[in-house]
Amino acid sequence: MRVLSIDVIRFEKVSKTYPGTGKPALDQVSIDIEKGEFVFLVGQSGSGKSTALRLVLRETRSTGGRVHVAGKDLNRLAGWKVPRLRRQIGTVFQDFRLLPNKTVSENVAFALQVIGRPRSEVKKVVPQTLELVGLDGKGERMPDELSGGEQQRVAIARAFVNRPMILIADEPTGNLDPTTSVGIMKLLERINRTGTTVLMATHDSGVVDQMRKRVVELDHGRVVRDESQGVYDGISG
Amino acid sequence: MRVGYVFSELGQGLRRNVSMHIAVVLTLFVSLTLLGLGVLIKQQSDIAVRYLGDQLQVTVYLCRDGDSNPACTSAVTDEQRQRVEQTISQNPEVSSVRYESQEEAFAKVKELYGADQFDGPNPPMTATDMPQSYWITLKDPQQFEGVTSAVVGLDGVSQVRDLRDTLAPLYGWLDALKYGAWGVALFLVIAALLLVANTIRLAAFARRKEIAIMRLVGASTLYIALPFLLESLVTAVVGVALAGGTLGAFMWFGVHERIASSVSFMPWIGVSDYTTSLLVIGVLGPVLTLLPTLLLTRKYLKV
Ligand SMILES: Nc1ncnc2c1ncn2[C@@H]1O[C@H](COP(=O)(O)OP(=O)(O)OP(=O)(O)O)[C@@H](O)[C@H]1O
Ligand SMILES: [Mg+2]
Repeated sequence: MRVLSIDVIRFEKVSKTYPGTGKPALDQVSIDIEKGEFVFLVGQSGSGKSTALRLVLRETRSTGGRVHVAGKDLNRLAGWKVPRLRRQIGTVFQDFRLLPNKTVSENVAFALQVIGRPRSEVKKVVPQTLELVGLDGKGERMPDELSGGEQQRVAIARAFVNRPMILIADEPTGNLDPTTSVGIMKLLERINRTGTTVLMATHDSGVVDQMRKRVVELDHGRVVRDESQGVYDGISG
Repeated sequence: MRVGYVFSELGQGLRRNVSMHIAVVLTLFVSLTLLGLGVLIKQQSDIAVRYLGDQLQVTVYLCRDGDSNPACTSAVTDEQRQRVEQTISQNPEVSSVRYESQEEAFAKVKELYGADQFDGPNPPMTATDMPQSYWITLKDPQQFEGVTSAVVGLDGVSQVRDLRDTLAPLYGWLDALKYGAWGVALFLVIAALLLVANTIRLAAFARRKEIAIMRLVGASTLYIALPFLLESLVTAVVGVALAGGTLGAFMWFGVHERIASSVSFMPWIGVSDYTTSLLVIGVLGPVLTLLPTLLLTRKYLKV
């Protein structure tokens, strides 16, 4: 039995039915994720991967069961405390979501500025993080002057600049070619090695097979597989 | 919280939506001016009630020969007159009462039109054409209904003229102006609220990417809403300033320089009444813009 404090993310029989829909998007899902783990969330389109990630971010609430993130029961978390929760979670999406009118540096700095971090810290940490993701020297570029892979690196830098406890990635390689994807996965692995827990939803079998990390497979909102050092195509694939 | 960021966002927001902000400022300006004008009119009519109330009395005219009131069959008898006087002086609303004879009334008329008009063999009017009357001073100028109704049905009473008859037209005008100003202001206030709501919607849409990222990285709701609130506050302050200036100009050029100096028999609204109207619009202006902003930012920017 695991001790609660080392579980950074813990789903206890979590169900989620969106209003106006009959079928649950998640159905009695239980997952424990420990600090420092790297976990792939796989499954067909519509199996509930993004829904699980949205629950971790408290973008939506479960309709049954409990979601614990960083030791907090999210169904009981007061609305005004949600920003504090999200400061502990970095997020990366398939579509990068960069601000097109800001430079690379400004995009990364934005994440620190809007949570009120002092200017001196921003000045110091942003270049460090850009170097970590392999973008040193490109800080003054605009997002549309970068390749897709580079744009995703900016997004990862923005997610990681605040050194979050958890990094959540929803199909981060979905818009990238296989070679570029490998680079992004290496970067996520490096971030994981700093102690950051990574939870990544993906369709990308190549990426999953190459990494050999824990794989949780969802099918119609249920967990059908949870194995360490798994591959994309498991029993139900 | 970083002040620099907030102000640069504020400047950007104001510039990005400049036409909407101007529309909000103008509707606020006109509606607040009308609201303030209503307040000033109300103050003036309060002053008028207080002032004219002190001056005016209830007058009871007694029947005379050939009275135009058909209820008067003949000139009032001494007995009837005593009855009327008794009724008046026993009434609790009455402070004092003064009797005016036909001769005294005639003397007033002569003074008004010039005594020489009534000299000669065939004067247009003599003392017998004038009614005898009682002039009643009230304890409270607003309380005249009791004494009026007590006297009006008595034998020998031709006519009772009370405060209402004298003041009704003036109050009617002031009330009409006041409610007219407030009525129009109400419509404009509704327009201002809708404009503010639309402005927020547009601004939230223009900044939707930034807002989505701010929410994602854990910016507080207040931090996200602050530029919107400040934008609303700026438009409110400009609207209030314009309205306050216009009301000030009205007070100075309209009331102080014109009416008050030419019609000096009664007191007019002054600085303290202007301050009251400023206070009202100074509170209402920000409320009108901040309230919809708060409600809508809660809706659009919900974390
Ligand atoms: N906001 C919503 N309102 C109603 N139903 C929703 C909503 N979001 C998702 N769903 C439904 O919930 C189910 C799970 O959706 P979800 O987005 O979690 O799937 P997914 O595994 O991320 O799929 P994909 O791989 O295509 O991204 C789907 O049936 C979807 O239609
Ligand atoms: Mg999805």
